[in-house]
Amino acid sequence: MNKRILIVDDSFYMRTMLKNMLTDAGYEVVGEAANGAQAVEMATSTSPDLITLDVILPDNTGLDVLKSLRQVQPTAKVVMCSAVGQEVIVNEAIENGALAYIVKPFSEEKVLEIVGAALQNDAEQTA
Amino acid sequence: MADIELAASSSKAERAKPVEMVQLIVFRLGDEDYGIRIEQVKEVTVTPEVARMPKTPPFIKGIANLRGDIIAILDLEERFRLRPAGRELPERSYTVAVEAADYTLGLVVREVPRPLTLPLSQIEPAPEFVQDTGARDKYLEGIAKLPDGNIIIVLDMRKLLTPSEVMRLPGKTASK
Amino acid sequence: MKTRDQEYREMFMAEALEYYDSMSRHLSELERNPSAGPALNELFRLMHNLKANARAMGFTDLGEMAHHLETLFGLIRDQQRTFSGALTRVVFAGVDAMGAMIRAIGANQPLPDAQALIENLDRLVRGEEPVFEEDEVAETDEEAGKKMELSDLVYIQVKKLDNLLNLVGELVIDRDRIMTLAQELDNPALLATAQHLFRISDDLQYSVMDARLVGVGVLLNKFPRVVRDVASAEDKEVELILSGQDVQIDRNILQIITDALLHLVRNAVSHGLETKAQRQQAGKPLVGHLTLSAMTERDDVLIQVRDDGRGIDTEAVRRKAVERGLTTANIAATLDEQAVWAFLFEPGFSMASKITDISGRGVGLDVVKLALDSLGGQLRVESELGAGTTFTLVLPTSIAVKGALLIEVEERPYAVPLMHTDTVLALQPEQISVVGGVLLTHFQGQPVPLVPLQLLLNDEGDEPLPLATRNDVQGAQQVLVVNYNNRRLGLVVDRFIRQQNIVIKPLSKPLDTIDLFGGVTLLGSGQVCLVLDVPALTRLFITKRP
Repeated sequence: MNKRILIVDDSFYMRTMLKNMLTDAGYEVVGEAANGAQAVEMATSTSPDLITLDVILPDNTGLDVLKSLRQVQPTAKVVMCSAVGQEVIVNEAIENGALAYIVKPFSEEKVLEIVGAALQNDAEQTA
Repeated sequence: MADIELAASSSKAERAKPVEMVQLIVFRLGDEDYGIRIEQVKEVTVTPEVARMPKTPPFIKGIANLRGDIIAILDLEERFRLRPAGRELPERSYTVAVEAADYTLGLVVREVPRPLTLPLSQIEPAPEFVQDTGARDKYLEGIAKLPDGNIIIVLDMRKLLTPSEVMRLPGKTASK
Repeated sequence: MKTRDQEYREMFMAEALEYYDSMSRHLSELERNPSAGPALNELFRLMHNLKANARAMGFTDLGEMAHHLETLFGLIRDQQRTFSGALTRVVFAGVDAMGAMIRAIGANQPLPDAQALIENLDRLVRGEEPVFEEDEVAETDEEAGKKMELSDLVYIQVKKLDNLLNLVGELVIDRDRIMTLAQELDNPALLATAQHLFRISDDLQYSVMDARLVGVGVLLNKFPRVVRDVASAEDKEVELILSGQDVQIDRNILQIITDALLHLVRNAVSHGLETKAQRQQAGKPLVGHLTLSAMTERDDVLIQVRDDGRGIDTEAVRRKAVERGLTTANIAATLDEQAVWAFLFEPGFSMASKITDISGRGVGLDVVKLALDSLGGQLRVESELGAGTTFTLVLPTSIAVKGALLIEVEERPYAVPLMHTDTVLALQPEQISVVGGVLLTHFQGQPVPLVPLQLLLNDEGDEPLPLATRNDVQGAQQVLVVNYNNRRLGLVVDRFIRQQNIVIKPLSKPLDTIDLFGGVTLLGSGQVCLVLDVPALTRLFITKRP
C-alpha cells in the first residue's frame, strides 16, 4: 500500500511543489494543512504515515504544532521543513521527536531520500 | 396547544430535573398513527409532481423535484401493506421529506402531518422479538402511548432508509 | 503551452504579491505600534516564506533581500533592535525593493539592483548605522506614486466551483421555463426581457464553465515519470512526446479520466511496445515512441495515447471472443476489426493473460470504458499489426450542458444524450423484418436490431424479452438509432419531442443504483425527465435479447 503523507506548510506554492514531488514518486498525499490547527485536525482525521512540517507557521510556531502532532498521532513520522537560518528551531524539533529535516529550497532527490529514509525507519521499527 | 399542555403536565412531578422531551412529526398510515423525530424531518410539503421511475419497486412512487433536489418518493402504506382496500391516495397528498445519512427521501401521506411534543419516557422501546419480520417492526424506535389512550408508532428513519432497505422489493425479502 | 514550471511560476507570483501586500500592511501597523508582537511574527514568517519560495524558483536576489530582512526582523522580535529611526527607513526601502523585484519577475524583466540596500541591512544586523546616499532622499517622493498591487490570481476550492455550476444549471432551467411562459403569454415586453435574461444566463454559464477549465498539461506533465518508471522496470527504452498541454478542459473531467489514462499509458509501455530485442528483429528503431497528445475537435477534447509497438492482433482477439462465449464462431467471422476490438472493452474479457501475451493489449480496458461512459465520452481505437496502436479518448470540454434528444414513451419524456445517437428513422412495416424473435431493419447497409424502448424500461426478472412477431409492427415506427461501442440499436419510441440542451443532475441515493438512467434533468415545464444511459440500455438488450 502507498504510504500516506500529510503536508503542513503555510505557502501554497511550497505545498504544491512538495505534493507534486511526493505524488509523482507514488506516495499518497492525504492532506495539506496551512496552519497548526488544520495540521492537528487533519493528522487526527487522516492518520498519515508521515507528516512534513514547516518550522514557521502562522498561528503557532512549528514546535508547538510538532508537540501537538506527537500527541494526537504518535506513530506518524515527522520530517521538518525549513529554509536555512532556523537551525536552532530545527534542532529543538529533532529533540522533540522529529526524525529529520529538509532544508529549503529542496531538490526532488533530497526530499525523496529523506522521506524514504524516515519511512524506512518506520518499517524497521515494525519489523 | 395540546402538545404543550401534555408536556407541562408530565413535567410537574420532577420539577427539579427537566424531563427530556421529544418532538415528533405525526402522520397517518392506514388506520394507524406514525411518528418521526423532528430532527429527521427536513420539511413537509404538498406532494409535487411525481415521475414514475421504471425499475423500482412499486412502493417507490417515483422521483420528484423538491426545490432543485431530485428525491425519491416512497409510499409507506404500500411498503408496510397498510393500505385499506379501495382507499387510493387522494389527489392532493403531502410529502414528508426526511433526511437519511447523505440523501433525502420523501414519504407520501394522506393528511397534513402534525407536530407533537412528548416526554421521551413515554416512548417504550420496541420489543426485541420482532427483529426479523421484515416489515415495519424492524424500523421501530418504539411505541408512544398518549394519555388519551392513542398510540403512535415511532419510526427510526435511519434504519428504514438505508439504500438496500429502500430498494428491497417486498416480494423478495423472505426468499433472499 | 503551460508546463509545470509555468504553473509553479504563476503560483509563486500570486503568493509573492500576496506576501508583499501583507508585509506592507503589517509594516504600517508596526509604524503605529513598534512593539506589536503579532505583526512582527507575521513579518518574520512572510519574509521566511518569500525567501524559501524565491530560492526554490531561482530568484536569488529576491531571496537574498528576504533573507536579510528576515534576519533583521528576527532581531527586532527578540528585542535586540527596535523598529525606529534609520532602521524603519531601510526596512521600508527593502520591502519596496522586494515589491519592485516581484513586479519585475512578473513582467519578465531583469531584477533591479539592490546591493546598497543589502549592505545597509547588513550594517543594521551588525549593529552599525546605515549609510544613505544623497539621491536616496529624493526617492522617497516616489512613495506617493507607488502602485498598489493585488494578485491577479485567486485560489478557489473546486467544491465552490461545483456549487456555482449547479446553481447556473438551475438558473438555465428556470430561464427556459420563463422563455416558454413568455412565448405562451405573448407579451412583447416580457418576451424582450426573457430574451435578455436568456443571453445573460448563457454568458454566465459560459463564464462559470470557463472558470473550471484547466490545461490538460496538469495531467500530461505527470507522465514522464510514470513512463520512465514502467520502462525501466521492463527494461525498455521509450521516448515520450507530449503535446497539446494547453488544451483546456473541465478540471473534474480531467480528474475522472486520470486513472484511465494512467492505465492506457502503462499498458502501452509494458504491453504495446516491444522489447528491444523484438524491435531489432522487426527492423524497428530500438527506442519505442509513445505520444500523449491533446487536441480540440469541435466541442470535444481528444486525448490520444499513441505507440509504435506491435499493434492489436485482431485474429487472436476474435478467437478469444469466441472461446469466452461472447459471440459465436459464425458471427465472429463476419465482424470487422472495430467490432472485434470492441470485445476488448468487455468487462472481464481482458483479464485473460493470453490476450496480453498475444495482442499486447487488454488489461483493464473495461475500466477505461467505464470512466468514459460516466462522462458520456467515447473511446476510439486504431491499430495496425506491427506498426502500433492509438487510443483516443473523446471527452466533453465541460460537464454541465449536453445536447440531448427528448423522446416520449408511455406519455413520459426521456432524454437521450446526442453523443450516443446516430439517427432517427420513421420506418414502414415493410422495412422491418423479424429474425429469430428480434425486429431488424437495415440502415446504411447494416442490419440494426430494433427493440421497443418500453419493453426495456419495463423489463423485470431474469427472463429474456418476449419474442417479437410481425403483429408488433403496426403502422409507421419511430426509431431512434443509438450507438455504443460500435453497436447500433434501434429504440422504438412513441414520439420524438425535440432536441434540447440539458443539464444532467446525478440521481441521488438510493436510486443511483439503477444503471439504466444516467441522471435526471428538469425540463422547461418543470417536469422531471430521466436521462437514459445508452451503454446500459445496450448491455441490457444484449443480455435479454430472445
